[in-house]
Amino acid sequence: MFHISSQKKYWTFDNEESLEQLRCEANQKYRNKMLASGKPGVSDAVFLEAHEENVLFRHYEKRLLDFCNAFKPVMPKSVVGTAIMYFRRFYLNNSLMEYHPRTIMLICAYLSCKVDEFNVSSTQFVGNLVQESAAGQERALEQILEYELLLIQQLNFHLVVHTPYRPMEGLLIDIKTRYPLLENPESLRKSVDDFLTRVTLTDSGLLFPPSQIAMTAILNSASRAGLSMESYLTECMGLKEDKETLLKMYDAMRRIKSLMKKYELPKPDEVNAYKVKLERVHADFGTNSNMKRKRGYEDDDHVAKEPRMTEEEWTDEDLDDL
Amino acid sequence: MRWEWSEVREMDDQGCPRCKTTKYRNPSLKLMVNVCGHTLCESCVDMLFVRGSGNCVQCDTPLRKSNFRVQLFEDPAVDKEVEIRKKVLKIYNKRDFDFSNLREYNDYLERVEEIVYNLTNNLEVEGTKQIMEAYQRENRDIIQKNKAKLTREQEELEELLLLEQQGNEQRRLETLQEEQRQLQAKRKSKQALLDELERSHVPATILLAQHKDRAAQLETQIEKQKQVVKTTIFSTGIPMGQTVSLLTVNRLEEVLYHYQPIHMHTYGPPVPELEQLGRLGYLNHVRTAQPQDMAGGYNSGLACHRAIQDAFSGLFHPLG
Repeated sequence: MFHISSQKKYWTFDNEESLEQLRCEANQKYRNKMLASGKPGVSDAVFLEAHEENVLFRHYEKRLLDFCNAFKPVMPKSVVGTAIMYFRRFYLNNSLMEYHPRTIMLICAYLSCKVDEFNVSSTQFVGNLVQESAAGQERALEQILEYELLLIQQLNFHLVVHTPYRPMEGLLIDIKTRYPLLENPESLRKSVDDFLTRVTLTDSGLLFPPSQIAMTAILNSASRAGLSMESYLTECMGLKEDKETLLKMYDAMRRIKSLMKKYELPKPDEVNAYKVKLERVHADFGTNSNMKRKRGYEDDDHVAKEPRMTEEEWTDEDLDDL
Repeated sequence: MRWEWSEVREMDDQGCPRCKTTKYRNPSLKLMVNVCGHTLCESCVDMLFVRGSGNCVQCDTPLRKSNFRVQLFEDPAVDKEVEIRKKVLKIYNKRDFDFSNLREYNDYLERVEEIVYNLTNNLEVEGTKQIMEAYQRENRDIIQKNKAKLTREQEELEELLLLEQQGNEQRRLETLQEEQRQLQAKRKSKQALLDELERSHVPATILLAQHKDRAAQLETQIEKQKQVVKTTIFSTGIPMGQTVSLLTVNRLEEVLYHYQPIHMHTYGPPVPELEQLGRLGYLNHVRTAQPQDMAGGYNSGLACHRAIQDAFSGLFHPLG
């Protein structure tokens, strides 16, 4: 349940400013690390700013969503929600420059399938990377398996994510049972789904409980359809007397709606510019080769594989047309 | 201790050094050992020492017939050592509590072993004998005291053994008597049945039934008797009837435990109970469970309850 979950304890923050703060800190930490390491060609201009990282983050997040939607077999919505939440949480404490988003993106999806018990074998999973050859898929799989533990670690092993989908179902059932004023709640379902999909692309998951998000979705869709649902909160939820909680609820809903409005798809030219910078950072300072040996065979020289410095890693273009 | 199996197996190896063949032909023939460590078969002993004393065949030491003992070990040297050890230990009979510390005791034992070794292997026999005599003279009274102690211990052990044996005997006799009695009783009842069948006018089936009853009663009686074992002693060793004084145990007064139901803060409106869901009409809006789902214990209320719980949990979550 959400009220005793790790999500409530550790991954629900008070306001957007604290989130921004964390992201800036992550960015700064990486910069300091690189500056301190004293590698050649290091200067402040080479690195991405926090807002530039934000643009790229949104871009890759959208791609993750598209990947999950095109996934075969059909991925349940909770799995998609969990994957996006992992992605978001990971980049709350880490910089995009340190770990390239296109790897992390796939790992989030892979881990979320496992955690949510949507059983897909690893070969089936990489089979969804339709642009790749079989060898390319192999390489992708290897990368996924390498970084998986890192992802779990950065999530602080808090793997259970409460998405708003089940609360939404619950609220619909409750409305149908206790609120006969609304005639056909099912008619709202499509717009509610739509709302929830858009909400996952915002920071709401890190700020509000999923039940509040679901409530916002339903009330919003109802008002869009011209149906009034004000009395639901006061009567059925027993908030007629409790003005304070009612105000808080309205406030939360307002904030969620404003977050949704603020969201916009990143502009392509911006994205490309920043992407170039990102690629350069990764090529120059990337720690890719170090990761490859972390399979536990570090000490046995005769067992370790040789570093794959020469082979090309699969690039963004391979994910196009998904 | 009879090493019969070794005798059976190595009959060919062990031969009397004098008459050699007689041992093979007569497996029951025993070998005898003397103080010099050489063996002779019984008949040879009788023949050679007809006058009571003579010389050993192999080493020519003057021997007496009475010194011959029946060989217990395969290797006559072992027998010789055993004899010597017995004699030495009669003199050197101190025990571990006679010494003030372990080191001294170990030194003493070491000396004893050395004496036994020397005598067995005929090294410095004279010197060793002198050492022994000196020791005997010095510790005369201690030796006497220990001898007395030893005999007392042995007597006690023997007494215990005797008691045990007597107990076993008694039990055996008792069980025998019981069995006899049971057999007799059975025979009597059978005889009685036959007599009744002859004499009485009651139909045979009734007589047979009566006989069966009586036999069953007899059985139960026997069973009961078997179970009446006189117990005179508890399993801990305290004999029955002995009064044991118990110290009064202190009473510990504790606060009685009071159950407090767990209160979970859900930060949301109250959720109806699982049992109430049907009555309140929630289940109408949930997909009904298929028979194959119900077989596993699932019912639609479970899914409904979970959805409602998730919907209400954290709804009033305090914001910053």
